[in-house]
Amino acid sequence: MSPVRSRLLAGASLTTASLLLAGCSGSSGTSSSGSHDSIDYALPANFTPNWILPIGTAAHLNTNNISIANALWEPLVAYDGSTGSMGWNKKGSVATAADFAADNKSVTITLGDRHWSDGKPVTSADVKFWFDLIKANKSQWAGYNPGKAPDNWTAFKTVDARHFTITFDKAYNPQWMLANELSSITPLPQHVWDKAGDAKQDWTYLNNAAKNISGYASNALWKTVSGPYTVKSFSTAGKVVLAANSKYDGGEKPGIPTVNLLPFTTADAEKNALRSGSVDYGYIEATDLDQKDSFTAQGYTVKPWSGWAITYMPYNFNNPAMGAVFKQLYARQAVQRSIDQSSLAKVIFNGTAVPGYGPIPQAQSSSFLSATQKSDPYPFSTSAAKSLLSGHGWSEEGGVMTCTSPGTGASQCGEGVAKGTKFEMQVLSQSGSTVTDNMMSAIQSSLAKTGIKFSIKTAPVNSVLSQTPQCTASQSICKWQLSFFGTAGSWYFSAFPTGDSLFQTKGGANFGNYSNTDVDKLISASTTSSSTQEIQEYSAALAKDLPVIWLPEPDYQISVVKNGLGGFSQDPLANFHPAQWKWTS
Amino acid sequence: MSVQSARRWGLVAQFPAPLKARFARNKLAVAGLVVVALFFLFCFLGPVLYSTDQVHTDLTQVNLHPSGSHWLGTDAVGHDEVGRLMYGGKVSLLVGLAAGVLATVIGTLWGAVAGYAGGWIDAVMMRVVDAGIAIPALFILLVVSAITTPGVTGLIVILGLVSWLVPSRLVRAETLTLKSRDYVLTLRAIGGSHSRAITRHILPNSVSTIVVAATFQVADAILLVAYVSYLGLGVQPPSTDWGGMLSAGLTAAYSGRWWLIVPPGLAIILVVCAFNAVGDGLRDAFDVKGRG
Repeated sequence: MSPVRSRLLAGASLTTASLLLAGCSGSSGTSSSGSHDSIDYALPANFTPNWILPIGTAAHLNTNNISIANALWEPLVAYDGSTGSMGWNKKGSVATAADFAADNKSVTITLGDRHWSDGKPVTSADVKFWFDLIKANKSQWAGYNPGKAPDNWTAFKTVDARHFTITFDKAYNPQWMLANELSSITPLPQHVWDKAGDAKQDWTYLNNAAKNISGYASNALWKTVSGPYTVKSFSTAGKVVLAANSKYDGGEKPGIPTVNLLPFTTADAEKNALRSGSVDYGYIEATDLDQKDSFTAQGYTVKPWSGWAITYMPYNFNNPAMGAVFKQLYARQAVQRSIDQSSLAKVIFNGTAVPGYGPIPQAQSSSFLSATQKSDPYPFSTSAAKSLLSGHGWSEEGGVMTCTSPGTGASQCGEGVAKGTKFEMQVLSQSGSTVTDNMMSAIQSSLAKTGIKFSIKTAPVNSVLSQTPQCTASQSICKWQLSFFGTAGSWYFSAFPTGDSLFQTKGGANFGNYSNTDVDKLISASTTSSSTQEIQEYSAALAKDLPVIWLPEPDYQISVVKNGLGGFSQDPLANFHPAQWKWTS
Repeated sequence: MSVQSARRWGLVAQFPAPLKARFARNKLAVAGLVVVALFFLFCFLGPVLYSTDQVHTDLTQVNLHPSGSHWLGTDAVGHDEVGRLMYGGKVSLLVGLAAGVLATVIGTLWGAVAGYAGGWIDAVMMRVVDAGIAIPALFILLVVSAITTPGVTGLIVILGLVSWLVPSRLVRAETLTLKSRDYVLTLRAIGGSHSRAITRHILPNSVSTIVVAATFQVADAILLVAYVSYLGLGVQPPSTDWGGMLSAGLTAAYSGRWWLIVPPGLAIILVVCAFNAVGDGLRDAFDVKGRG
C-alpha cells in the first residue's frame, strides 16, 4: 500500500469511525445470562483484581480488592453504608457486640457463634492472630498511620473463646473507634494460616502466597473462609468468579449462587457490554446520563451511587511564588466565591454531583455536618470576589488582579505579598476525564471574570499525586500551586469522617501543608470526645477557613442495574457487597 | 509592466511555466489547493467575520442544537461550535505546518550532510535514521506526552523531532546523485568548500524533492496532532484543536449530538486529503522519481 493511500485510509477510518459513532444509537436489548443463579458485575475500568489477602499493603490497596476479600473473610465489625445508612451492619459482621468501658479506654468484643468453612469455630485466637500480624508488621500495612491503630491499642486480652478485650492508650470516641479502627480487623483462620507461630514469618508467608494470583482458586490456604462466598476462579486477566459458601453460618446469606466480576480496560468497553446486555450491574459516565432512556428501554435502571467523599483542590501554602497569597484568607475567599458550584453540579456533572462547602461529605445527611457548612458560607458572587481583592490592595491590570498596595494593613495585600504580584495560579489536574476537563474550563472562565488567571496542566492521576507532594519552599518539587485528583472524588473517608490525615498539621495526606492550631485541636477532640459537637465545630471551622478550594462532590458511580436485581443499597464507602444482591423477579 | 520585468521584481512566482501548467492539469491537486486555502481563510480570517467567545465558558448555553444563532450548535461548556472549529483549526494548521516545515528542515540538512559526506559518516547517520524509523512515532509521542504537557510550541518541536526521518532519506538519495555532477566536482576542483557545495548546489537542485516531502510532512503532522489530542494528550484548555474536539465530542456519540463529532472529523479528513492531493500534484509536476 502506498504511503499516500495509507494516510488517506487512516484519515478516512478516523472520520468513518466518528460518523458511525455519531449515528449509532440502537441496542440489542438482550439479557445477560437469562439465569437467576448468577450475576455479571462490571468492575471499574482499568482495574484488575490482584490481591486476595484481607490485609491491604500499599501496592495492593484498592477498594475492589477489599470488597472481594470481605466476601471471603467477613470483617469483625462491618461499619459501612450497605444497609442504607452509615452504621454497624451486624448481619455482615463476625462480632455481635462491642462494650466500651465507662472511661472509653477499652472495649470488650463478643464474637457470634460462627464457624469456618472447614467446620472449626471462629474464636478470639483468630482475632488475636490478625492483631499480632498487624502489630509486628504495621509499617507494611496500608491502613497504618503513626499514632493510630495499632499504635493506640496497648493490649489484647483473651477473655474466652468468644470474648476479648482491647485496651487503648487513652479515651476515644466509641463511634470513631468502631467506625475507623475496629472495622479494619478481620478474623483470620489461625489454625490454617499460622504456619510458623511467628507473626513476622507468617506475614512473609501469607504475602508471598497472595502474590500468586493464579493459585487463588486452587491453593488450600484460601479455601478456609468465614464469608458468604469462596473463590471459584480468579484469572490473572482480572475475571473473578465467586461461588456461594455452603457452610456459611453468618447473617448475610448469599442471594445469588454465582457472582462473576468482570474486568474492563476502558469505560467505553464496559458501556458497550452494557448495551449488548452482557452485564447485569454496570455503570456509565456522567456525560452519558442523557442516554438514560435507552438503558431504561433495555431493561436497566440507572442508579447514581454517591460516595462518602469530599472533592477539593489543595493550595500549596509553601509555593514560593503564590504561597503568601494563598495564606491570605480574603484571597481564598475570593477564589471560593468565584466558583459557581451549583451550576457545575447541575450542568457539567449532569446533576450527578452535589456542591461541597467543607470537610464533611454532603451527598448524605449525617450528624457530622454543621449548619455553617451546609449553608455555604461563601456563595458564588463574582462581584463580591472582586470586592474582596480590590478591598485588600489589588487592582486589575491587563485583566489580571495585581497587588498594588503591599503591607499588612487591613486594606493591604497581606504579609509576604510583594508589590506587583499577579494573581496567577496553575493547577495540575487529573487527565482522562471529559467531565473534569469541562469543570476546569468552567472554573478557569469564572476565575478570569474575577481577574484571577488560572492555567491548567493535565497529567495521569498517579503523576498528579507524585508531582504535588508535601514540600518546603526551598525544594524544587514545591513549584506546584494547585492539585486536582478528584475526578471520582478526592478523598473517601472511613465511616467517621475525621480530618487527621487531610487537614491536621503534618497530616499524611495534607498535601498543601495547611496548618491551623485551632483546627488541630478540633480534629483531636473529634476522635476522643464521645459527642458529635467537636466534629461539627471542625466542619464549620474548615468551611470558613478554606484550607482547599471546595468543589462539587461527584457520585462515585452512575450505576446501571438490570431490573429485578435488588435487595441492596449502594455503599457510600465504595465497597460492593455481593451477598446482598438478589434477583427479585 | 511586462511579464519579464514583473518576474525580475519578484511579482510573479518563480515557478517554471511548464511545471505550473502540469500542476494545473491535475484537477485533484488544484482542488486540494483550493480546500487548503479555504480552510486557512476559515480559520484565520473567519474569527474576524464570525466573532465568538472561545475563552470563557457559558454554562447556560451548553449542548445547544444548530440554530440561527449557533450554526453548528454549542459544546458541553457553551462554546459556539463554528467558532471552536476556527479556533481549533488555527492550532491544527499552525502546528501541522510548523512541525512539517521543522521536520523537513531537519531531515534535509541531515540527509544532505550524510549523502554528501559518504563513508562512515553516512553509515552512522543513516543507521540513526533506521533506528528512529523502527520506533513508532505515536509511541514516542505518547511517552513524551505522559512525561510533560506540551503547549503549542512544545507540540511543534516534538512532532518535528519525530517526523524528520523520511525526508532525510529522500534528500540523502538525491544528494548521492547530485554530488557526482560536473558542477559540484568543478566547484570542489577550484577550491570551493563542502558547505558551499551543499548550500549553493545540492540543496537548490533538490528543491523539488524537498517541497513534495514537506507537503506530505504537513499532512502527516496534522494527522499526528489529531491522534495525540484524540488521546487527550494535546494542547490544554481553553485551547483546543480538531483532534481534541473530536475526542471531547465522542462522549456525545450516543446522545445524537452529531455537531460535536462530524465537523471536526470532516475538517481533519478534508485538510489531510487536500495536502496529500497537493503533494501528489507537485510530485507529478516535478516528475520526481518513484512516482506511483
